[in-house]
Amino acid sequence: MIRIVLPRLLRVASFRFAAFYVAVFAGSALVLGIAVFFEARSALQQQMTARIETEVTFLRVEFQSEGLAHLIDIVRKRGQGASALDYLVQDRTGAHLAGEVPATPGLTPGWTRIEVPQASEDGGRPERVRALVSDLGDGVLLAVGGDLQQVDNLEKAIATAFLWTIGLAAMLGIVGGVLLSRAFLRRVDAISRTAEAIIDGDLTRRVPTRGTGDDLDRLAGTLNHMLDRIGILMESLRQVSSDVAHDLRTPLTRLYQRLEGTRTHAQSMADYESAIDAATGEAQRLLDIFSALLRIAQVEGASPRSGFGDVDLSAVAETVADAYRPDAEEAGHALTATITQGVVVSGDKELLTQALANLVENALRHTPPGTRIDIRLEGSTETGARLSVEDDGPGVAETDLPHLTDRFYRGERSRTTPGNGLGLSLVSAVAELHGARLELDAVKPGLRVVLFFPAAEKSSHPNRQPSI
Amino acid sequence: MKVLLIEDDQETSAYVARGLREQGHVVDLAATGRDGLFLATEGGHDVLIVDRMLPGLDGIGLVQAFRGTGVKAPVLFLTALGGVGDRVRGLDAGGDDYLVKPFAFAELLARVNALARRPPLSDTPTVLQAGDLEMDLLGRTVTRGGKTIDLQPREFQLLAFLMRNLDRVVTRTMLLEAVWDFHFDPKTNIVESHISRLRSKLSQYGGAELIHTLRGSGYALRAPPPDDP
Repeated sequence: MIRIVLPRLLRVASFRFAAFYVAVFAGSALVLGIAVFFEARSALQQQMTARIETEVTFLRVEFQSEGLAHLIDIVRKRGQGASALDYLVQDRTGAHLAGEVPATPGLTPGWTRIEVPQASEDGGRPERVRALVSDLGDGVLLAVGGDLQQVDNLEKAIATAFLWTIGLAAMLGIVGGVLLSRAFLRRVDAISRTAEAIIDGDLTRRVPTRGTGDDLDRLAGTLNHMLDRIGILMESLRQVSSDVAHDLRTPLTRLYQRLEGTRTHAQSMADYESAIDAATGEAQRLLDIFSALLRIAQVEGASPRSGFGDVDLSAVAETVADAYRPDAEEAGHALTATITQGVVVSGDKELLTQALANLVENALRHTPPGTRIDIRLEGSTETGARLSVEDDGPGVAETDLPHLTDRFYRGERSRTTPGNGLGLSLVSAVAELHGARLELDAVKPGLRVVLFFPAAEKSSHPNRQPSI
Repeated sequence: MKVLLIEDDQETSAYVARGLREQGHVVDLAATGRDGLFLATEGGHDVLIVDRMLPGLDGIGLVQAFRGTGVKAPVLFLTALGGVGDRVRGLDAGGDDYLVKPFAFAELLARVNALARRPPLSDTPTVLQAGDLEMDLLGRTVTRGGKTIDLQPREFQLLAFLMRNLDRVVTRTMLLEAVWDFHFDPKTNIVESHISRLRSKLSQYGGAELIHTLRGSGYALRAPPPDDP
């Protein structure tokens, strides 16, 4: 377990951050420690040097005014007292005259180090003395020194304090880093477990959030939002597949039965011919459904604005109104068009034409003779356009309204009229591709379908205009 | 006429070739882009029918390739794609017409005939004539037997297209594309109603029927024989 967890821990970003900070902290503490160490040592040494120089000056004056005997006397007295300094007076022959430091051969004036053997204290370890040797005249040498042990002790104390500090800080840093990283890893693991469950097919799983609003929580929130969206898309895809399966099975079955029936029962050439005509018609209807579905899928899958150009929506509306007017009149409908000229939107002309044609065809097909159908284009290129197709026919039940754009959906009243229930699905897909808002209103009597187009090339917000 | 068909699907290829041969055309077949390119550059074809998706070299690349070698014969693309902007790409690449699978053979035949006899642009006449019917494309006037006939702009376009294809079959889809720029199949009788209006306007001063309906394929404008009453 440890073998598996530790290397992973080392790879976790938060652990690396922690380790990095520990290293930076230890480094700066070390630099600080070294600075303090040398500063303290040099201060102590300066202090000792000053004391020794003062003492030497004093003793030199005493020796010059009072003589050697007086000097020896003072040094002896100092040695009996609790003086922090060590002394040595020796004559020209090197003989020891006074002081606790033993006679040392080869002393020359100036700063030097003298080792003083310690028989009793410190287990015989020699005491190191930093001494100032001066020639007082007449071959008399005076050495006054300070014990280096004090400095050593202080140095050790400072070094120890810093080493402890650094060690403790590093320990705390590493432990903190490990704890942080494990917490982080747990949450990352939760996210990957969710992802794996989803890969395995459970699309209902969501990444747990803690409600703290931290970065990981926000990431989890975004992931969940994405999963919701994918879920909706999958659901609609599933719905489409089952719709397709259902709506194609019926005509396919009919086709199959008709052909099989002909095979068994046809008596004459005429029977065969009429059966083949019927089968061809059925196949044509199937192909129509397929191409309508394909078209919708292509429009839905197209990337917005690819292949878009400036489309004269007024001209499109004019063409469609023109194209359907004779047809409408023959069917006893009144087709009127109120078109504002020069309205340009950014889009795909072919798709917009087809969408409007679908709306007009719907109105023609689902209303009785005598119905008024009005195509209306308002707005302008700068403010966005409002394109509507309205009829005063029997309208659509309120309950049907939200489903009209569903694939294969056909309201109760339209069950008996020809059509495949895909016309408005395409209109809806085209509207979405163009960033246009599609609105279906039961206007009692009749149905009004409105497309709100955004202003060309400026904002993507649909222009909201008051309904008439 | 001599047609080169470049199509990898054997069934489609056989179906189209058989139909064209029955109509008295000579058909060369190629199943891959490379073979097609070879045959096309040999020349002598009046029309090329090219599938959009071919093994080896796709239809668009193929047409660009033989346009590059100077092959001028009109090209009809066949495609199962029929997607948004797909037709435009095909025409941009040097295609002259575009037909989405599945198609009725009558549709293909009408388009091949229209392509094969398409006059060069410079030869486009400004006055079209069929029997006693005369159409001035610049002055935008139509007369029959010397009497002026008033047409709506769309009816004028419709008649012009029919007259340019005099004695040839034009399908409903061809009319929808050429006259209305509709590249989808309306479920209503747009074409039929416009044709019937045009017919009644053309015969308002009497005279023989000019626009003939061919069941299952389309319409044809034919000049009546001169001795017809």
